[in-house]
Amino acid sequence: MSETFRNRLLLLVALALAAVYLFPLYWMYITALKTGSEMFRTPPSFWPDEPQWAIFPFVFQLKGMAQFLWNSVVIASGSVALIACLGTGAAYVLARYRNVWVDVGLFLVLMLQVLPASLMITPIFVLFTLTGLLDFPRTAVVLAIAAKSMPFFIVLVRATFMSVPMELEEAALVDGNSRAGAFWSIVLPLARNGILVSAILIFMQAFGEFVYSKSLIQEIELQPSSVGLNAFMGPNTNEWNRIMAFASIYVTPILATFVLLQRRIVSGLTSGALK
Amino acid sequence: MRRLYSSLVDGRGFDLCLIGVPLAFLIVLSGLPLVYNVVMSFQAVDMFSLGSFIRPWVGFQNYRELVAQPEFWPIMGHTATFLAASIAGQFLLGFALALFFWLDFPGASWLRGLFLVSWVMPGLVVGAVWNWLLSGDFGVFNFVLRELHVISGNVFWRSDPTFALWSVIIANIWLGTSFNMILLSVGLSSIPADLYEAAELDGAGALTRFWTITLPMMRSTIGALISLGLIFTLQQFDLFAAITSGGPNNASNVAQYWAWDLSFKQYDFAKGAAISVIMIAVVMLASVYYVRSTRHEVRG
Repeated sequence: MSETFRNRLLLLVALALAAVYLFPLYWMYITALKTGSEMFRTPPSFWPDEPQWAIFPFVFQLKGMAQFLWNSVVIASGSVALIACLGTGAAYVLARYRNVWVDVGLFLVLMLQVLPASLMITPIFVLFTLTGLLDFPRTAVVLAIAAKSMPFFIVLVRATFMSVPMELEEAALVDGNSRAGAFWSIVLPLARNGILVSAILIFMQAFGEFVYSKSLIQEIELQPSSVGLNAFMGPNTNEWNRIMAFASIYVTPILATFVLLQRRIVSGLTSGALK
Repeated sequence: MRRLYSSLVDGRGFDLCLIGVPLAFLIVLSGLPLVYNVVMSFQAVDMFSLGSFIRPWVGFQNYRELVAQPEFWPIMGHTATFLAASIAGQFLLGFALALFFWLDFPGASWLRGLFLVSWVMPGLVVGAVWNWLLSGDFGVFNFVLRELHVISGNVFWRSDPTFALWSVIIANIWLGTSFNMILLSVGLSSIPADLYEAAELDGAGALTRFWTITLPMMRSTIGALISLGLIFTLQQFDLFAAITSGGPNNASNVAQYWAWDLSFKQYDFAKGAAISVIMIAVVMLASVYYVRSTRHEVRG
């Protein structure tokens, strides 16, 4: 068996595996494009007879998705901005020193990373009610998400800072830079890619966040797409093509971003999660 | 004042400020709720006392009532089944895929990365898609199983009490397999190749090499991954909300969904807090193990 033949065969098997694994995604798009009667046909058709492209603008209008998506973007951007501003500094300090206090801090961060949102929402809801924060529901969600995801961001970005050679920073200090100056003009630019990838990962997570938004936001016009999708799926719904159209519009930006930046995201993720 | 400023820009104060502000933020928004949760689980909370700090202290009454509820032990059992089946499924499928993609061929790493889309998608969307795939009469999952002659009649995954929990487990396995695979791939690629060459020279077969080299070398990765799987699986909420809502009649209810359901559907915040405290204790134990098993890697 020659080398090229082996490679081709393995690639073929890999493609088949990927096709099976990603079939649910394919089914989401295909269902969206089917007519109401074709959707319930047995045996199911694996390619729509007449693709109903008009369903995307139709559902977008019908469900007021512009507002839902805008809220998702506002919540995700707010969370990422807050997390990046606060988390980057913490990650830098935790990467630069090695002593007992850093170990304690790291341990605390890792412990906070694991608290399930659906268990934390009860005390957060009551505390936010007591402090009046619930009158600003989107801000409340941003704060809750920031507290939940910042530890993950710190762990990922810390791995990036570990790979920045300390000699460069020391050289900048010798040249008369202050600590803050060296951090701002030497260390941060060198770690920029890692920070950016981690921020994108956090953005994707926050863009799909559900528990906090569902529990803290009552007003429909302030809810993000995840809550909108949940409300769309009643218990006995039969509008599956429309629901899948909603879902497609919602995830396509995330999928596109992921496929474009796949290599960087995967390597950023693997450097942080186990190291 | 000048000294304070220069310390902030150029000394100890710089580091303390960088770490202090985020730490304070986390303590206020994560630590405080955590402590308050424990306090609240010992109080009587109703809709009227929700807005005040001072509430009657009831000791362990919330916990006693919680355990006395007829659905308590079934839900705990479902949680255990959900954890065990999800982690086992994700890990075994992920390991099999990781081993396959380890056979280096052109395009392997790119295709492998593509699998991760299941993990970056919003949980609600994954739930919606699987809800439709697992639909009883028109679901394509039933169709495939029928064509493969695994089942003869349609299985009503979401509404049959025997299968409701498994419908969420299937979706959760799909969601987490890719993440397991990626991390296991990293572990596999760090095993030195000369170990295998030496074993091959000694005449060890593929299976022997797997048992005597691959598995022992992967021990810390596997340990970390299992505890990480426990942590992630206990966080899974969106799939329950999107597929079964814990029903029918609590047949697919698990602790983390029940906690939310008690607080936000039945407005029984005290019991919601009590079950949260129990589950958070479990998560904490798992994460201590996770931190310990990644310890040597944490130090870099």
